[in-house]
Amino acid sequence: MSSTSTAPAPDVPLAALAATSLSPKRPGGFFSKPSGWLSVAVLVVFVLTGVFGPMLMERPGGLGTDILQAPSGAHWFGTDDLGQDVFTQVVWGTRISLTVGVVASLIAIVIGTALGLGAAYLKWLDPFVTTITDVMLSLPLLPLMILVTALAGPSVTTLVVVIGVLSWPEVTRLIRSNGMVVAAMPYIDGARVLGAGAVRIITREILPAVMPLIVVSVLLTAARSVISEAGLSFLGMGDPSSWSWGRILLNAQRSGTIATAWWQTLFPSLAILLLVLASTIAGVRYNDSRDPRTKGM
Amino acid sequence: MLRFVTTRVLRAILTIWIAVTITFFLLRLLPADPTLLVVEGDMTPEMQAALREQYGLDKPLLVQYALYLGELLRGNLGVSFRQLVPVSEVLLDRLPWTLLLAGSAFVLTILIGIPLGVYAAVGRGKVIDKLVQVFGITANALFVPSIAIMLLVVFGSNLGWFPIGQAIDPDTRGLAAYLSLLHHLALPLFSLVLVQLGPYALTLRTNMLEVLGEDYIKSARSRGLTPRRTIWRHALRNAMLPALTLMGLQLGTLIGGAVLTETVFAYPGVGRLIYESVRQLDYPMLQGAFVLLAITVVLANLVTDMVSMVLNPRIRTS
Repeated sequence: MSSTSTAPAPDVPLAALAATSLSPKRPGGFFSKPSGWLSVAVLVVFVLTGVFGPMLMERPGGLGTDILQAPSGAHWFGTDDLGQDVFTQVVWGTRISLTVGVVASLIAIVIGTALGLGAAYLKWLDPFVTTITDVMLSLPLLPLMILVTALAGPSVTTLVVVIGVLSWPEVTRLIRSNGMVVAAMPYIDGARVLGAGAVRIITREILPAVMPLIVVSVLLTAARSVISEAGLSFLGMGDPSSWSWGRILLNAQRSGTIATAWWQTLFPSLAILLLVLASTIAGVRYNDSRDPRTKGM
Repeated sequence: MLRFVTTRVLRAILTIWIAVTITFFLLRLLPADPTLLVVEGDMTPEMQAALREQYGLDKPLLVQYALYLGELLRGNLGVSFRQLVPVSEVLLDRLPWTLLLAGSAFVLTILIGIPLGVYAAVGRGKVIDKLVQVFGITANALFVPSIAIMLLVVFGSNLGWFPIGQAIDPDTRGLAAYLSLLHHLALPLFSLVLVQLGPYALTLRTNMLEVLGEDYIKSARSRGLTPRRTIWRHALRNAMLPALTLMGLQLGTLIGGAVLTETVFAYPGVGRLIYESVRQLDYPMLQGAFVLLAITVVLANLVTDMVSMVLNPRIRTS
């Protein structure tokens, strides 16, 4: 596509985050800064909660006697209008939010990387990929996700596939622009002269060079997927048979208790914020700690 | 210049065509049988056949597709399952509120985002830069309904400073009506701007840093121009264009955020309508809402591109 602006082309927010640096002066190792180990610690706590939490706690359901109780020793996060414990709901929701976030992100990364690297190396493929990426980026994603989920029938699988299959364009853009820098390097010409085919060059030469960027993209895309899942669940498009943070907020919204029972919305909101923040910061910190020689590629 | 306009218009048409085609094939390929969705309960095979004929479902897929496109061109988005009125009528009734909300958020994000991004880039590594980055990363991690619910509870319910629900007090006239409009708009707008502003300021900062490293900036400084003049007259002018284009790119996210914030505040736009239609499984309404929002975003993007063109001497004179 014709690039006509005088200034550097703006990029998607994913690229801006990938270019954001929390400690520009001394890179150091990933864990040399509090932001590094703190974000990983938070992620580990979430993963442990998601894996083991539901084993230790009974599945929320049925009607309780303690209705709309404020947080206390018995109910750490209070109870909702049906008397169910909000802490238990948040713990059970962790599993779904993490699953959807991680799996959807992996789907988006695989599609996005394949298309991005293909476009970066194969000249004939580039116009198609660029056009489709731009078109997908300019469509309102949430209404599209709602439509697809409604038609396919809400379930965890639907959410994973819908979010994953619709979230690749940002990844494609980021990987393509960086893959093009690598593809123009002399050693790629060298590999070609030695008789390497396109597939070999893309997978063995260009892919390893953009690998750090892919790691960053996985973390940032997972963060976005968690937000997308919460949004769809909040609008009533979640799996009706499993708990998620968005669904807790939806229940509060439907039962009309948001104005009074602040604990019912505050704790799932904090969970979303913490998980997304930790994932984003881990991504940015990982980017900072990379070898300066490969940075900015 | 003509070439620029043509490419952008063609791109807009292509995008709308793809959006429309996606919705058509979604409806046909996913398991849900459209005739079974119209009426709940049992249907005789004859009734079903009659419905199929009425909707043209007995014809080959490509013919159906052509019919569908033809109807769309005439502005027919189908009939709502629940309200039994044309989808387009209901949607166009709600669209102005979404446009008002998203449009003001668009302008406000640019107005606040530019100074944030510029000051952060100019003071690179200083406190202001750190603050903008921390704010940007945090705001980027915010979930729209979370922040909307918090604002609603604090400023709507507890303090009672802002009204909840509706977009305007129907009993007001003249200036009071405008004030009532702004009063109802404030909280949904603020939650939307807060979330949009994070990634926007971060991206602007990155763009501005690149511009500040360019030769013409160094030459402007070496000619003795004050830093202030260099930044606001020379650097910002060139960072402005991507700032506008970037906001165009974020339009899709902006609309998604509007859907969520409207739901929380019961603001009568298309987003709240989507939330209601989800509960009623009103597929034609959901489909129409997506098509209409896609067209809105694409047209807004086109306008953004045209404005950048007018601002950009390189395209204007080519």
